[in-house]
Amino acid sequence: MSPTEAIPLLIVVLLVISIGGGDVQKMSATFQGDNDVDSLADVHVVAGGTTSVPADATVDGDIYVIGGTAAIAGTVDGDVILLNGNLSVPDGATVTGTLQTYSGSATVSSDASVGAVSQFEAPAPSNSPTQRIVGFLLQFIVLGAFGWWLVTRHPLIIENVGAAISDHALVSGVVGSLGATTLLVLFVYMAFTLILLPVAIIGLFAEFLIILYGQAVFGYLIGRRLPIEQDGVATLAGIAAFLLVFELLGLVPYLGGIAQLIVAVVGFGAVLNTYFGLQRFEPVTIPGGT
Amino acid sequence: MGISMPDWGGTAGYHDEGCMRRRERSNECSISDDTVFNGNPGVGLVTTAHMEFSTHVRERRWKTVAGYGLFVALMVAGYYYNITFVQLGLIDLGTRLVGMSETAVSMWMAALALVTLVVAVVTGVAMDRRGWSTNLRTKLRLLFGVVCVQFALTLVAPMVRTVPEFGAWIVLASIGLGVGFPVSFSLAIDLVSVPDRGYVAAAITAIAYFLANAIPLSWSVDVFSRLMVAAMAPGIVVLGVLSFANLDRLESLLDTLGAQHETYGRGRFCYDDLVRTRSLAFAVPVVLMFGVFFIDSLGFLRIIDTPSLLLSSWQSPELSTRLFIAVAHVVGAVMAGVIYANYSLSRIFLWTFALFALTHVMYTSDLRFAEVFPTIASEGASPLNPALYAIAVSFYTTLNFALWPDLSTPETIGTHAAVGIGVAGWLATFSSTALALYFQAADLTLLSHLNVVQALSLLLLFGLAVGLYVTRMIELARENGGVSA
Repeated sequence: MSPTEAIPLLIVVLLVISIGGGDVQKMSATFQGDNDVDSLADVHVVAGGTTSVPADATVDGDIYVIGGTAAIAGTVDGDVILLNGNLSVPDGATVTGTLQTYSGSATVSSDASVGAVSQFEAPAPSNSPTQRIVGFLLQFIVLGAFGWWLVTRHPLIIENVGAAISDHALVSGVVGSLGATTLLVLFVYMAFTLILLPVAIIGLFAEFLIILYGQAVFGYLIGRRLPIEQDGVATLAGIAAFLLVFELLGLVPYLGGIAQLIVAVVGFGAVLNTYFGLQRFEPVTIPGGT
Repeated sequence: MGISMPDWGGTAGYHDEGCMRRRERSNECSISDDTVFNGNPGVGLVTTAHMEFSTHVRERRWKTVAGYGLFVALMVAGYYYNITFVQLGLIDLGTRLVGMSETAVSMWMAALALVTLVVAVVTGVAMDRRGWSTNLRTKLRLLFGVVCVQFALTLVAPMVRTVPEFGAWIVLASIGLGVGFPVSFSLAIDLVSVPDRGYVAAAITAIAYFLANAIPLSWSVDVFSRLMVAAMAPGIVVLGVLSFANLDRLESLLDTLGAQHETYGRGRFCYDDLVRTRSLAFAVPVVLMFGVFFIDSLGFLRIIDTPSLLLSSWQSPELSTRLFIAVAHVVGAVMAGVIYANYSLSRIFLWTFALFALTHVMYTSDLRFAEVFPTIASEGASPLNPALYAIAVSFYTTLNFALWPDLSTPETIGTHAAVGIGVAGWLATFSSTALALYFQAADLTLLSHLNVVQALSLLLLFGLAVGLYVTRMIELARENGGVSA
């Protein structure tokens, strides 16, 4: 596990402990070797090596596993959370709280006593047609309302962003990918400080909103090409068409995802380049042409 | 004294703004959607960012197209030689074959940088004063001579065994390199149109770095020597034919290319005011480029001296890791080319500094983390950091290839290329090597060393942002004669 991979898990643990009212200062951790524990300091993090709770031991506290192996043969009077690595709870072992597994490998005997078992399931795309249609309609309502508002109240703003997408797609894509990536890294590193966590969350949410803004403008551009006279209606129709195409792209393996990513960064860059539509983007003019 | 700065403005540079104002005044200047007169008779056209190269191909201007190809090939070969044989091969030659200490080799490398700078400045000034800068045939002959010298030096390099031989090799190579780079950079005014320089620079950077990273070569002078000799031999033949053959078609090609400096000669930043060597408009980019080269060199010298970082990135046994870095170089170069062609100069400098700052923040964060959690960190390093480093390096390398011709005219290209690259590139290398040696003598840890680099990169980023802001304040104060309501 590289530091770049381990840092987020440790941050998650720290956040979960903080949110749950735990004391981060009392946290202990093991990183290597074989360790038998017969007492815990409120929270124990298993980041490497093997940590065992012997069969005759009872420990009071929560155990987080982010790497290595945790073998619980005795009693844990608290929760056990598996984020990564391995966890084994054999016959006769007891976990009084909740055993939560998010990732990694867990072996829990049916004869073990566990207060509650919770397994995180990544939200899989729903195959239910009704749910998909509802989701699609929800996206359409949000983007459509935003697009309608922009076109009817601030047509120049959406026009400026649209021009940046249609006339300068490459520049928008470059600025979008650079801007989105560097901001993402910046926000992640802000989150590591914990103090700036709220700023990081707001920043990430703002990035998401900018991507939505770009999507609305893509819809507007499609709407302009439709044989509909009223701008607002054309934009709504365009956004519906865009979302439909975007949804269909997601069905194409690899290439569909790449196309979606390109659309997202081009829209992101166009919004940034035009100062959210307040100024038309004009590249510098270079003298000395043939 | 007025502060004359080359296109340091915001999104729209002054050419753009001027052109917009002219458009407002009169529609007559507009030729097409993307081409307008710049209102200054005799200095050609002003074009928005699009590749003229495609127009040349579409209109079958094959001689001009061949000029682009020649320039890219020469610069890729020269740069590849520099980043492999000179920067890596000589360290191996000095330490392994000659048996010198790393410190001694570093001192010789610093000497190479200094001598190269001196020779380059002498060559550049001579080129401008004697009119060689505007004579394509003379430049090709000079380049032919340089390649012949470097070919011989590269061939004999693996046979060097003693310190005096190594020293003599360094001095001769310095002379070759010192003559070679102002001559090769000056070819831009003959071969590449001004609007295309960002894209051409991006192509050179992308190809050179992709080859250097994707081809799994051992960093040994024997390997580099064999490869370079094989690559240079056909290059010598081509340059020999171009320089000395008396063929009608070739003469016609050289006549066409040789006359192009009349159109392409005046650089992008030399249209409203000529950029003089002793002006701020030239000094500021030189200082900024010096800063970029310095922090890159200072950081990289330590990274390549740290096996755990090196073996998980540039010298990784995994081809996929090396390819990942090679592709990152290409992506960085393309991005830099697009930004150079579409934004003011300040924007690409800001991005370069921001990328370097971000890269070093990530490197030092990982090292700090590794200090606290050594077990986790020992299980491997992420390739994300070297990839980000590669993007930052490609950014400034692209800028370096395009900047100096764009700050020059046919009368100043030799001097500006020599001073620009000499001071920014070679002097920065010399200084950073000296500082790295001092750090080594002081037993500075890896984290402390990279922490200094991180501090410098953040300082440069902050300094540039403040500098731009203050420049704008001065402009506003001058425009309004004080405060405006």
